[in-house]
Amino acid sequence: MSTATIARPAASGLAVTRRRARPSPRVLATRAVVALLLLLYAAVSLYPFLWMVSAAFKNQYEVVAGGHLIPHHPTLHTLAQTWGELHFFDYFLNSLKVTALTVLLVLVIYSAAAYAFSVLRFPAKRALYRLFLALLFVPGVTVLLPVVLLENKLGLLGNHWGLILPFVNGSAPLSILMMTNAFDAIPAELREAARMDGAGELRIFATVYLPLSRPVLVTIALLTAIPTWNEYLLTRVSLNNPGTFTLPIALQNLQSGAVLHYNTLMAGALIVVIPVIVLFVAAQRYFVNGLIGAVKA
Amino acid sequence: MSAATTVQRPPRERRATRGRTRYHRSEVAWGAAFVAPAIVLFAVMGVYTIGYGVSLSFATWNGFTPNWTWVGLHNYADLLWASPTYAPVVHQAALNTLWVMIAVPILTVLVSFPLALLLNSVGRMRTVLRSVYFLPYVTAGIAVYFAWQYILEPDGAINLLLRSLGLGSLQQPQGFLGNPSTALPTLIVVTVWSSVPVSMLLYLAGLQSVDSTLIEAAQIDGAGWWRITRNVLWPLLKPITGIIVLLNLRDSLQGFQTFLIMTNGGPGNHTNVLGLEAYRLAFLSQLSPTLGLSSALGWLLFIAAVILAVITQRAMRRAT
Repeated sequence: MSTATIARPAASGLAVTRRRARPSPRVLATRAVVALLLLLYAAVSLYPFLWMVSAAFKNQYEVVAGGHLIPHHPTLHTLAQTWGELHFFDYFLNSLKVTALTVLLVLVIYSAAAYAFSVLRFPAKRALYRLFLALLFVPGVTVLLPVVLLENKLGLLGNHWGLILPFVNGSAPLSILMMTNAFDAIPAELREAARMDGAGELRIFATVYLPLSRPVLVTIALLTAIPTWNEYLLTRVSLNNPGTFTLPIALQNLQSGAVLHYNTLMAGALIVVIPVIVLFVAAQRYFVNGLIGAVKA
Repeated sequence: MSAATTVQRPPRERRATRGRTRYHRSEVAWGAAFVAPAIVLFAVMGVYTIGYGVSLSFATWNGFTPNWTWVGLHNYADLLWASPTYAPVVHQAALNTLWVMIAVPILTVLVSFPLALLLNSVGRMRTVLRSVYFLPYVTAGIAVYFAWQYILEPDGAINLLLRSLGLGSLQQPQGFLGNPSTALPTLIVVTVWSSVPVSMLLYLAGLQSVDSTLIEAAQIDGAGWWRITRNVLWPLLKPITGIIVLLNLRDSLQGFQTFLIMTNGGPGNHTNVLGLEAYRLAFLSQLSPTLGLSSALGWLLFIAAVILAVITQRAMRRAT
């Protein structure tokens, strides 16, 4: 610490003088190449989205003609019509319900489990922890059929709990791994101090451990929310009643019409994608820090 | 802490010297209470389904008849060599899966590591670019795969782009997914496109935790940009490369959502992968008694995943 404070001023002084001097042509050329490469990959990342947006603003004749990114006759008609056809609000609420409950349960159930795995001592702890991590290797497709059959027996098939419970269970390995690492990084002295003040395990967990791991919790929330929002496989084989459909299934039904209109399909895709993008942009600051924490641990 | 407990409970201390770990009764109770919800959910959704799946893999069943017919290891034999209907399909799917497993991890590392290096070297644009690069992950799902389908069409945007770049000879008149020889490579590219964001972010996180004095020391020793990257950063980030390779291997082995949505295995069986084949046997085979086969294929995938994990870990340990 003290050496760092002594070393710092010299280093930053150097940086300041370097910045004031005009950069050499070579440095400028390097910077230009770096910027060019970065922008090139940005274009690669955005490319399908650009065409998605483009098609969503075209009418059905222009989208068939194809050929140009910027619509010659931009129209809101496609979006408006698709919005109606998609029954956006109903399916949005279904998707929101499934995603929100899944995330909530993941955070509650696995942060509690991670607290036990990280700080409490009890028999068979390591074996249980390893068991949960080993689940990471069980292929989703292997348990897909038994899950469907089991839920049929339990009367869960076709309702939202039949999606939420397997989603929560499926995100156990990664959530437990990340939260246990995060809790391991919290100094044990804090727990001791809280115990001296008379706090029980529940209070220590809720007032010391959870608040200190907020970036990791947000990261796990996002890592759970995004795939859940986009989930298609289990949802497709378990939901039958159109009233329970989530957005990906509603989007798929747009495609199953007699004639495939790409402008309608892309308008639907755009409508489905926007809520996740908003969520990500809102939480991305925490997300990056949380991942950094997870890698360091 | 230990001092306080010894004073309060001497008998417990004596008993503890016999066992390896010393447990406090209240702590054990709290531990049980904290893990209970996770265990209960796992018991219902996990143990039952895994047990059911394992036993189904030793039977034939079409999902409707009341009874299973036990066939022992026949399902596994049928998949691997015995059945003239299923074994050839599985062999082709295995070959396709192998290509995906080789190409996706390598390409993902080749794209995401340099990308993270570049992104780490810029200041102002970093936050915006990071969000842009992350878009493919955030939206990975049916919506984006539809968009890919759209631009890969015969008169879609990719062909248009190739023409305007003067690479007209690379155009695919039947569409990239319609031509048997380009369909699988195209799906590999789409998969890499979806998996670069998380890998890039993991590398970026790793780069930001690299001790900057190491790099300064190397600079003082006269190491250039390439030497620093090759001899300092790449070795330091090897554990992250290991995680990325392992996660991508696992997803390539087991994942099939992109394949199901974009080609459903076609044209022919040229983009059929093992996960997709297991899904088809379970859900798309109508009344044929293939549920046991599907289950057996699923467990073969599980065994392969465990073997892969062990190999990757060994390789990483030797490398570091």
